[in-house]
Amino acid sequence: MNQNTDLLTLRSVSKSYGPVPVLHDIDLSIRDGEFLTVLGPSGSGKTTVLRLIGGLEPLTTGEIRLEGQDISRMPINRRPFNTVFQDYALFPHMTVSGNVGYGLSVRHIQRKEIARRVAEALELVQLERFADRFPAQLSGGQRQRVALARALICQPRLILLDEPLAALDLELRRQMQEFLKSIQREIKTTFLFVTHDQEEAIGMADRICVMQAGHIRQLGTPHELYYKPNCEFVARFFGENNLVAGKLGPVQGELRPIETALGRLVCSISDQPHLKAALDGASAFAAFRPEALRLAGAKDNDNRLSGTIADLAFAGSSTVATITAGADNAAQRLRLRMPSRIDGSMLKSGETVSLSFAPHEGHLVLA
Amino acid sequence: MSALPRPSTLFLAAITTLVAMLLYSPLFVPIVSSFFTISHGDVDWSSPTLSTYRALAANHDILAALRTTLIVGMCTVVLSVVSGTLLALYYHGRRSGRSVLQFIIFLPFLMPPIISGLALLIFFREIGLERSLLTVIIGHTVFVLAIVYRTVLMRLQSMSRSLVEASYDLGATGWQTFWRVILPNLSSAMVGGAILAFALSFDETMITILVTGTQSTLPVRLWAMMRLGFSPDINALVALILMFTVLLCVLAARFLIPRQMATERA
Repeated sequence: MNQNTDLLTLRSVSKSYGPVPVLHDIDLSIRDGEFLTVLGPSGSGKTTVLRLIGGLEPLTTGEIRLEGQDISRMPINRRPFNTVFQDYALFPHMTVSGNVGYGLSVRHIQRKEIARRVAEALELVQLERFADRFPAQLSGGQRQRVALARALICQPRLILLDEPLAALDLELRRQMQEFLKSIQREIKTTFLFVTHDQEEAIGMADRICVMQAGHIRQLGTPHELYYKPNCEFVARFFGENNLVAGKLGPVQGELRPIETALGRLVCSISDQPHLKAALDGASAFAAFRPEALRLAGAKDNDNRLSGTIADLAFAGSSTVATITAGADNAAQRLRLRMPSRIDGSMLKSGETVSLSFAPHEGHLVLA
Repeated sequence: MSALPRPSTLFLAAITTLVAMLLYSPLFVPIVSSFFTISHGDVDWSSPTLSTYRALAANHDILAALRTTLIVGMCTVVLSVVSGTLLALYYHGRRSGRSVLQFIIFLPFLMPPIISGLALLIFFREIGLERSLLTVIIGHTVFVLAIVYRTVLMRLQSMSRSLVEASYDLGATGWQTFWRVILPNLSSAMVGGAILAFALSFDETMITILVTGTQSTLPVRLWAMMRLGFSPDINALVALILMFTVLLCVLAARFLIPRQMATERA
């Protein structure tokens, strides 16, 4: 269970349905024991990636390797992976223990052994008392856990989860997220989790693979994706962000300025060689998070902006201000997030404010 | 509806009742009159009796016809359920050729029975098959196949594709998936289709008359009895057939209408 060795590798994998391409030349490595989330809007091809790995669909081109061995043509029922389906796909005519034991009984394992392992799996997902129920007699969260127990009883090398939480309500979804994460830690099996919900992705994943329109846009830790998005799509899709378009100026060490309609903004380019290499005058965006914007306490080198408060929204622990900045013909909306205060915000709509953010809290993405 | 003024509601109710009575009351006449004796061609309302039923039970022709009907019905059910299920499984998920096949399967069911019967008769003569119970069974199977095929296909289509995928995903082979996942999920549709097939075969007259040999089924026997003149056993026979058919239809509905999902636990 060494997190540094690759368990599964996809090499220039493409998939088309007839003439319609859905995946373009995907390269992806899944590390042994990690919780990898594939995140993308609907139609991005994320579920197709999962179905190709599981063997539910044939590849059009490319190959899939399991620890170096090509399994692209291996039939679905011989791959050491198991799937938790979006609709759970529990067999309605079998009890919970029948469902969970199915993967063992089709392999002709002895009844006593099956009973023992079913009991173990049900204990792991805390459903011991429901062994003799039928799926129709269970709640959504319970069905979800049966599907998980059914998948992990075969001790697969990789568990594929296809938006398994989408059908649950918010509170239950949060509980299930923690539950899934704790199970993954306990059984130390690699999880590949597909979702369109970025909050879900941040909360659970060791690494996130962001997909859009059949391409992988970025692969990295949640922290990397949040603070160093490599393209406009990831910068906008992953968390709330302020993006201001402009032209790049000359590199200044680990910093680089960008000329925008809101003035010159200096942003960090550390550890991002492609930003250092970009030509002067190239189109790019300055990106800074709403929580990086400050109303007061600007230091000498900070980027300064000014604008008018258009709206204030109280969101519990924080308050979000929508600010219109720039001249009328190039007005731009910015968001500022600050901790809420019990005595209410001192800001008012219509008020003119000056804003700032530190260069190391801003980053650049190429347009 | 409640917004309608009272007189027109009453008027509508009256019309509905009248239409229902006109349509369905003839059905009840033989049932009611089968419990009375008939003298000089008229029902004698003064003497309720079960004698007609007793006469029926003693009538060897009728009993033989009943046996024939049951044999034909059972064979038809087995043949049509097996072939209808296989056809449905084969054409489920296949686009090409399906509409042509469906048209062919439904043709004998939708055509006037006399046309289907004549077509079969000519066919049997061309291939040199003597008219017998076998030809009746073949005729009935061709006739009811559409019902079984449709019933099973609809169940297949409502089955989530991921059930089959999950079975393979968990390591099952094609056979294991078929016997342990697909078939159990089709079984109630197959039982429902079988009951409907049996009910249709039980009542079928026109095709049977045309393709049968010397043996007659119950409805054919009834037809023959009618031509000889109205006798009290006919009422009893009609009543029995009617009740049996209704029973079968109720049974079929129980299997085919999806059972209400158990209420989800909170």
